[in-house]
Amino acid sequence: MSPAAPDSLESMLPQLLSAFGPPGREAGVRAALRRLLRGAGPFQQDVTGNLHVRREGSGRRLLLAAHMDAPGIIVTRLEPDPGKARIAVLGGRKPSELVGAMARFEDNRTGVVTWERKDGADPEADQLLLETGLGKPRRAGSRAKGGGRPGPALEVGEVAALDERPVRLGDYWCAANLDNRAGCAAVVRALTRSRRVRYDVHAVFTAQSDLGARGATTGAYGVEPELAVVVDVAHWGEPKETSGFTPGEGPCVALKEQGFLAHPEMLEVVRKAARSARVPLQYLIREGEGSDARAVRAARTGVPTAVIAIPARRTGGVWSLMHARDLEQTAELIAAILAGSGEARVSSAGRANRTAGAARAASKRTKRGGRR
Amino acid sequence: MSARRTTRRRTAPRFREDLLEALSNAAGVSGDEERVRALVVDAVRDHVDSLEVDAMGNLVARIGLDSAGARARRNGSASRGRRAPHVMLCAHMDEVGVMVIAIEKEGRLKIRRAGGIDPRIMPGQVFRVGAPGVRGVVGILPPHLVCHPDEEKVIPFDDLYLDIGAASREEASEHVAVGDYAVFDTTYERWGRTRKGKAFDDRAGCAVLASLVQERPPVPVTAVWSVQEEVGLRGATAAARRVAPDLALVLEGTASGEAPGASEGESAPRMGAGPTLTVHDRTLMADVRLVELMRKVGAERKIPTQWKRPGVGGTDAGKISLSGAGVPSAVVSIACRYIHAPAAYLDARDAQRTVDLVWHSLHALGKEWSER
Repeated sequence: MSPAAPDSLESMLPQLLSAFGPPGREAGVRAALRRLLRGAGPFQQDVTGNLHVRREGSGRRLLLAAHMDAPGIIVTRLEPDPGKARIAVLGGRKPSELVGAMARFEDNRTGVVTWERKDGADPEADQLLLETGLGKPRRAGSRAKGGGRPGPALEVGEVAALDERPVRLGDYWCAANLDNRAGCAAVVRALTRSRRVRYDVHAVFTAQSDLGARGATTGAYGVEPELAVVVDVAHWGEPKETSGFTPGEGPCVALKEQGFLAHPEMLEVVRKAARSARVPLQYLIREGEGSDARAVRAARTGVPTAVIAIPARRTGGVWSLMHARDLEQTAELIAAILAGSGEARVSSAGRANRTAGAARAASKRTKRGGRR
Repeated sequence: MSARRTTRRRTAPRFREDLLEALSNAAGVSGDEERVRALVVDAVRDHVDSLEVDAMGNLVARIGLDSAGARARRNGSASRGRRAPHVMLCAHMDEVGVMVIAIEKEGRLKIRRAGGIDPRIMPGQVFRVGAPGVRGVVGILPPHLVCHPDEEKVIPFDDLYLDIGAASREEASEHVAVGDYAVFDTTYERWGRTRKGKAFDDRAGCAVLASLVQERPPVPVTAVWSVQEEVGLRGATAAARRVAPDLALVLEGTASGEAPGASEGESAPRMGAGPTLTVHDRTLMADVRLVELMRKVGAERKIPTQWKRPGVGGTDAGKISLSGAGVPSAVVSIACRYIHAPAAYLDARDAQRTVDLVWHSLHALGKEWSER
């Protein structure tokens, strides 16, 4: 397959990386995902902003979750200079990481993040500024939503995305939004390349994850899954992180992260699928950082959940680096899971002739039995 | 359509200032909302279809729904393929205060915070303790006896105590018990348009909500006066699960930014500048459509609105919005100076405008709202 094939990661990832999608304002990513997944199954958008795509299969209901939001900024108050505003980070970034980043609003107004130097220390949350150079009031109708009358260059509450343009550096992707557009890309790739799936797959691209797994909370409630796989990014060399993995050596499966411990059976599913797909697997143990798994595993009466995390390195600013092969292999791993390579051979016998409902009822019984 | 209904649509109910006064004067720290609840019950019992207190202590009133909480049939709306949304309106009854955690040998009361109070405002404050409202002062040595460097220190909360004048543990125990709550000793007052009193966060919201249900709202409404908001949005979390509304509006008293030397941007939101709308706080990305609808209603009805400073504070709406598969939620607040302190100030016009805005927004929701 040539790198330019439209459903290749090489072609899809840049589209996802440059789509607008700060927490709570994910419309741009949703549109990109709908485009990339055309024909993959029926779409549904829920109240929190999650995008659901269903891929029917006769097996258990599997939630495949990847958050689509990426940290952004929000205008908190206007400075006397009309093109300048005080901003706050929207999502899980330190103020210091944002300084120097370019921020873009949905209607393409752009600014650079600066900070008010009070002393030599790192910027505090309240010291971040956005300089847009926009001196005059905007023209009527210039705001995508609720336009129609002239307003100031900026308005309190407006949300912008950060440095969205990806760069390819050798084997690495370099971008600000890899966490977690890379995870979204891997899920899209796995869904589009899977002809048949073993599970009744509900892929949910979750919203507002960076604000505390909010989309995963409502999304998982809505799906009511029997199993779940969460796809996210793991940052190498973070403080407090054991960093027992190496970028470029394959996807990680999480043993432990904030609010989550690996479910033994799901861990085995991932291991088996990795073996069958010949994908090397690394282990992730991290503290102080987590994924949507902490909400998903606690949904309804509890959901056996696995976390697959793509290794990445942070640079100190908004950019991070990800080995292209890790991403490819993550997509292969997910596809192998969906194809049922992770299931024990025994449990697959005789399922082919059952109706979906009977299979689901049977698997529910098995699950209950297994939990005892 | 009857003439009577047309009239109703034009005029919002009057804000019940008498109720705000009674509610503000009543003691009701988180976990001890009984007296506040009784006042609300008296005020609304004749106007609602059903009224109950749930297991946590939330007061839940239903209007336009049948007894099981399901939507009552409304003329025409269902047959046109669009039904009026079931709206949860919520205001919390509890206020910040302190709890007596021990009575010392010398008769002093050790206290613990219930909700967020700044320790800097504590020394010298007069509190009303327990049901009989015994007055006590947060004791502090007079300047004569304080050495210079200590004057600059903020006394940590753990070192503060309440002195009711009792000479011994035995004497104190005749009036106060461990577990008693204490509230700021403040009586409601009027000054021009300004209203002064304690606990406007969120008795102002409680009074707005009680005012709204005096008239029959145009959509099915469940009104919830919630408990334990100040200690972690607890009451609303439980209530939202049970009410399972189509959307939610939370009514609040929020922090005005007005202070000497504050720039225009820093002062926002300000007293007297109209109802305050939230874009984003620590717990919520407000539903964009709901906020836009309220802004539009405000513009049409010439009700000024302003933005709450993004990123700070949190309300019941955060929990309600993540309930079930998600609930579109927004917050409408009255900007109050000096909340979480002995006396908050609000502008009486803002209280009436908040009733107006929510009332007309309910009408707009009945006409325009559709599920996504």
